[in-house]
Amino acid sequence: MHKCSMPINYQQAFTQIKQIGEKSKERQKQKEDARKQARELFLAYSSDLDALRSKVESAKQADANIRCAVPLDEHLASSYGIDDSVIQATLIAADGSQIIPNRHEALQYYAINVGAIAMQVGSGNTPETSTDTEIHMLDEFDDTYFSESQIALLRDVAERKKLLEIADKYSGKKIAFTEGQLELWGSVDNENAKEFEKNLQDYLNILKESEKKQVVTAGYIDKPSANWVIKLLEIASTPQEELKNIKKNRPLAGATDLWLFEQILGKHERSALFSLQSKSAEKYTGSIAIHFFYLNVGNEKKPKVARVDIPAWVANDKKILNDLHSALIEQSKIMGNEPFPYLLHRAHEIAVITHREKEEIDRMLAIQIQNNQGEIGRISGKQSAKSLKGRAKR
Amino acid sequence: MKKQIEIGRLLRAGTTGFIAGCRVNQLDVPSFGALVRAPLEDGYNVYGIIHDIHIDDDGLVRQLVTASNVSDDVLRDNRENRIVPVEMSVLAVGYEQNGKTYHLLPPRPPLSLDVIYLCNDNEINQFVSAGRFGYFRHILRAKELPIGELFAAHFKQVKSVNHDSVWSKNAVQELMTLLRDDYPTLMSILGALRDIAES
Repeated sequence: MHKCSMPINYQQAFTQIKQIGEKSKERQKQKEDARKQARELFLAYSSDLDALRSKVESAKQADANIRCAVPLDEHLASSYGIDDSVIQATLIAADGSQIIPNRHEALQYYAINVGAIAMQVGSGNTPETSTDTEIHMLDEFDDTYFSESQIALLRDVAERKKLLEIADKYSGKKIAFTEGQLELWGSVDNENAKEFEKNLQDYLNILKESEKKQVVTAGYIDKPSANWVIKLLEIASTPQEELKNIKKNRPLAGATDLWLFEQILGKHERSALFSLQSKSAEKYTGSIAIHFFYLNVGNEKKPKVARVDIPAWVANDKKILNDLHSALIEQSKIMGNEPFPYLLHRAHEIAVITHREKEEIDRMLAIQIQNNQGEIGRISGKQSAKSLKGRAKR
Repeated sequence: MKKQIEIGRLLRAGTTGFIAGCRVNQLDVPSFGALVRAPLEDGYNVYGIIHDIHIDDDGLVRQLVTASNVSDDVLRDNRENRIVPVEMSVLAVGYEQNGKTYHLLPPRPPLSLDVIYLCNDNEINQFVSAGRFGYFRHILRAKELPIGELFAAHFKQVKSVNHDSVWSKNAVQELMTLLRDDYPTLMSILGALRDIAES
């Protein structure tokens, strides 16, 4: 946020806000029409799984970059509950946070902090927590530019690595999850394509290693924004000859997967299983191919729908799938009226690098470099001005 | 060798008192009104009385209480792993230097992360018997504290390590002298002391 002695131009803002308000009614109407249509298509195609799969194949031929859900053997509109028994397993969650290099600051470095927690459900034992911090100094000898997405990539790989490392310490059933999708995500351009490929290979190896060690792996996406099932319905309802424009044509724009499954899923129910059709996910082959389901960790009155990404070997084993389903529901129940897996919240709490901690790392680095006759860069004028205290701060 | 019971480490301090923090699983040892000691350099100890034990909540704890039940795993995670220290507020009541005990405010407060110990029987006896109840001044000056309860807890602790009733009689006499012009406070303290005498 910029610091400035002038407030925002409320007059201009008010005019725009008023226009936004005026359009709400019309947008809501469009949204409701799209939702109604989506719901009808969802029910109509619910058991037409072969036809849907074949239509996705055609869409893929027309546009290789299409991203959508592909049904497996469960009807689209089906939902599945769990019994009340609490599973006996070791649950492990990891989360990461990072310090992004900022050229305006005196010291150029990035840091990745991965926090993890392991809980042996029902043992009464104190959960085990751990943190791994990696600092990478950047200086004039280092030509590599580390973008925010590159560091996020390194963080994601580190999270999975950490889960596997902790899982090795425990015997019996192990379920490991992180917050965020299972597919490694990063903007790939010419500059960082090689780096991305290397990290992706590490990541795929970790997923395979998890399968080998039978560590159930999942990515939990709270309030998901991807609309892969809606895209599937759009493909299903688009004539064959128009499929090449399917990315641009969005007949169900306004309807979302989140809304759809809030209507379908009862208390603690999961949706049907789907696999993911995506060019970027094609590297996840065989037993680690990306699959997903939606899960209502809330109830009918106050649904809280999350997406859970899993590899194929988890999706293909209903016993393992049910264990994961139960574990996520039990974890979410711990959080009371705002359900969310407790261990994911704790992993986040452990991993997060606070502003104060960053300042402490800055201070420690500066002392060490100076004590060893090193040189510290200068803070930029802009950063210096931004750090000023006083009346201008709003 | 005296048995030393560590109850926490110093978070912040001033001349008239300090705040120590401990993990929740260390909490069974310190108690309201207990005499504690912060050893600094050679032979220099700051003494204090715990006048408040404070447990803060946070967003997660507030949310967890809305769940239908809290399992042992979650309970232990919150009590043992999460960095929410129990804070103990300590009123400085004197110090020891070169083997001599003073009921004066310490020349320097303890420093961050100094270990705070519970006083053992000998240390309690030695501290309360030194001088003539000079440390009562510090307690009486802290008007915002529950003074009556604090004296009662302190008398109870002294009574448990010193069975000589002369100390109690002299201490009450001293309180009456100090509070001769403050009848309400005196009555409140004597009322609290009566409760421990009858228990």
